[in-house]
Amino acid sequence: MRTTVLPSARRALAIYAAIPTLAFVFLAVSSGSSLSNFASYLPRATVDMSYSFTRMLAAYALSLGFSLAYGYYAATHRGGERIMIPVLDILQSVPILGFFPFAVVILAAATPGSFIGPNFASVFLIFTSMAWNMVFGVYESLKTLPGDLKEAADTFGLRGWLLFRRVLYPACVNRLVYNTVLSWTAGWFFLVEAEIFTTNTKNALQGIGSYLSFAASASNAAEFLAGIVVLVIVIALLDFVVWRPLGRWAERFRYDVSPSGETEIVAPERDSAGRFHRARVYVTERVRTGVTRVTTPLVQLAAITVRPVRPSSARRRSVYYYLALGTILVIVWLLLIALVVALLSVYTHPIEPSVRALIAQVPAAVGASTLRIVASYAICLCISLPLAIHISRSSRASKVGLPIIEVIASFPATALFPVIIFQLIPFISAEGASILMLMTGMMWYLFFNILSGVRSLPPDLVEASRSYGVRGWKFFRRVLLPGIFPALITGSITAFGGGWNTLIVAEYLSVGPTKQLSLLGLGQLIDIGNSLGSSGYALMATALLAMVGTVIAINELIWKPLYRRAATRYRYD
Amino acid sequence: MALIRVEHLDKSFPSRHGTISIMQDISFEVKDSDFVAIVGPSGCGKSTLLRLIQGLDRPTAGRILFRGQPVDGVARQMAMVFQSFALYPWLTVSQNVAFGLEALGWSPERIAPQVEKYIDVTGLDGFQEAFPRELSGGMRQRVGLARALAVEPSVLLMDEPFSALDALTAESLRDEILQLWQDPALPPDAVILVTHNIEEAIELADRVLVLSRRPGHILAEIPIELPRPRDRKSSAFYDMTDRVYSLITEGRPTTGAEPAGEGAERAGQML
Repeated sequence: MRTTVLPSARRALAIYAAIPTLAFVFLAVSSGSSLSNFASYLPRATVDMSYSFTRMLAAYALSLGFSLAYGYYAATHRGGERIMIPVLDILQSVPILGFFPFAVVILAAATPGSFIGPNFASVFLIFTSMAWNMVFGVYESLKTLPGDLKEAADTFGLRGWLLFRRVLYPACVNRLVYNTVLSWTAGWFFLVEAEIFTTNTKNALQGIGSYLSFAASASNAAEFLAGIVVLVIVIALLDFVVWRPLGRWAERFRYDVSPSGETEIVAPERDSAGRFHRARVYVTERVRTGVTRVTTPLVQLAAITVRPVRPSSARRRSVYYYLALGTILVIVWLLLIALVVALLSVYTHPIEPSVRALIAQVPAAVGASTLRIVASYAICLCISLPLAIHISRSSRASKVGLPIIEVIASFPATALFPVIIFQLIPFISAEGASILMLMTGMMWYLFFNILSGVRSLPPDLVEASRSYGVRGWKFFRRVLLPGIFPALITGSITAFGGGWNTLIVAEYLSVGPTKQLSLLGLGQLIDIGNSLGSSGYALMATALLAMVGTVIAINELIWKPLYRRAATRYRYD
Repeated sequence: MALIRVEHLDKSFPSRHGTISIMQDISFEVKDSDFVAIVGPSGCGKSTLLRLIQGLDRPTAGRILFRGQPVDGVARQMAMVFQSFALYPWLTVSQNVAFGLEALGWSPERIAPQVEKYIDVTGLDGFQEAFPRELSGGMRQRVGLARALAVEPSVLLMDEPFSALDALTAESLRDEILQLWQDPALPPDAVILVTHNIEEAIELADRVLVLSRRPGHILAEIPIELPRPRDRKSSAFYDMTDRVYSLITEGRPTTGAEPAGEGAERAGQML
């Protein structure tokens, strides 16, 4: 295995090296300034990086604990499952970043003069970008644990800690490791975005994102380059020293060939074994793991609503169950009250006329932001679909192209925004730059979901098409599109989620006194509201509510019906 | 002229540990109105052979002739029935049966009666609008069969068509396939059945090709001259079964890559 992993690793290393090199060339050409003294900024960038890294570690530790506890409970307690999974679905479809300004303001006010407040807010933000997919990883691993493995444990009387250590935990490890890598990728993206965001406020967080933002506002290309170099080194080190060995280690816990592209990250040669190796394994495994692919987030929601309602069982529940349920209800209730009180206080205060005028723009902003995201989605789809199909059908493209794409996707594009975007505006206009930024937040969700969809198309269905001479457009319409439909919808939903989260920087990016990108939209209004201080609360709250409302409306009206269709008609079984 | 001629077929796959040879020097003929069964232990390349015959895969060496013409690309005069049925879950029974006809560019007006005919022949009447998941395994394989027969192929290729079914369902489907086969008004001209079930091969086929373990080559070609319908409990049937079984398990050693004892043991387990 080692020998086949190495070439792709070398290729990945080359890509990592290419990112700062390209940035160097780009900066040297565009700024014309000397970059020779960039090494003198490295120590400062490293110190700032260590702050960011500590935040990532803290958020990851929180996510890991949370996902094990939450996932385990939801998978093993039917009552808990019925509440916990829909709650998670709502949480992950809400654009958390929109709440970030609020969280910073509230927590900074709660801890005046202390660094704890903003840091806590940022760790919490990163946590929300890491946790959900890890929870689903644990939950799905436990739910799809083959029944006989569970029964075998029962017959030997394994319970409690021993059951967890010997059966449940090993069952999760493989998915958890894979999802951990995804979580860190999303985490970096939002960490940098959040830090850039705080440089517009008086609570600027020390970290690599704010470092890059300050370097850009001082028009110091060498300083900026040093930041990019440090960021790339840390991400590459993590990849080679932690993720790749961890992935190989996690392989031993795989009791199943997963139908999605998951195996590719740790065992890229598996695909090249070709139909000969796969067809046999696949057809039998397919049946068993068919559930996994549909248990992606929103299908859960669809499945819950589609599932016939059973009369409540008269099963006796423990005191703890009611205690836990009661506690959750009380907490939810308190949060609701707090929210209502906060909103009341925001709206009962007199609103300045200038702010009132901005609030009047909210409906137009909803339209503008939605259009922007839809446009970005359309472009992403036009790129991802052919790319994913090509990569999954050609083993050469898969060997060469995939590692490149994985590396690019793992680098937080937000880090490049403060400089690159302003250089591009003259060529693609502010609107184009904004859509480009949105694309960096949407593209990979779509691409990797489609890729795993094409890959998990049962080989015998593809072969039957060839046998009956179904090719070209007919093949696309009759076989490929229906076959990847569930994955396409999952990808679309997560891509839209990513888009809403990127809006905060994509519509309003200000670097220094001169460079400013500001386009009418919800992200822009939230940013403006934030910069106005306490008089902007009403604007922030209104824009935020409008955003949440839009997201929920799109989910309910478009994605959920499509998902229900995917879960019923376009399912393999 | 032979319907299908297979000449000196070799197939190997590259792998991490060098080249794996799947089959070596396979030659045989299929004539008009021939029902040929190919049996052999798991991994001897039976299914690969079937795919090579239709042109879904290319041989490393050797060639396949269909009515004297080399098979180049997927041969549309043949139709495949898959072990796993390979039905499209998002298409109805009718749409699945029409699958190959659409690819042939038939008009909807021509497709409809053709689909109806083969739905009727395979006993699927009343299930036209059902989705595959709503059907039992036996009914699903009927759809697979109807889809294959609907294109009226010269050669019907069946890749372990009964092994995903329970014993009783498989038995009744076998009987029906024999009846369809004996109806001269219906396609195909010849059938090639791949199976690991020796009794099934002897019950259905006119000829049984016995393949060795990997790399597969033909150990024997046994004509089955028992009158149909064949009684599995008759002593002639039993003798025939015994002969094929011992051929496979004793399997004369081939390239000597593995000791014969191990090979025999493996064949015994897998059969």
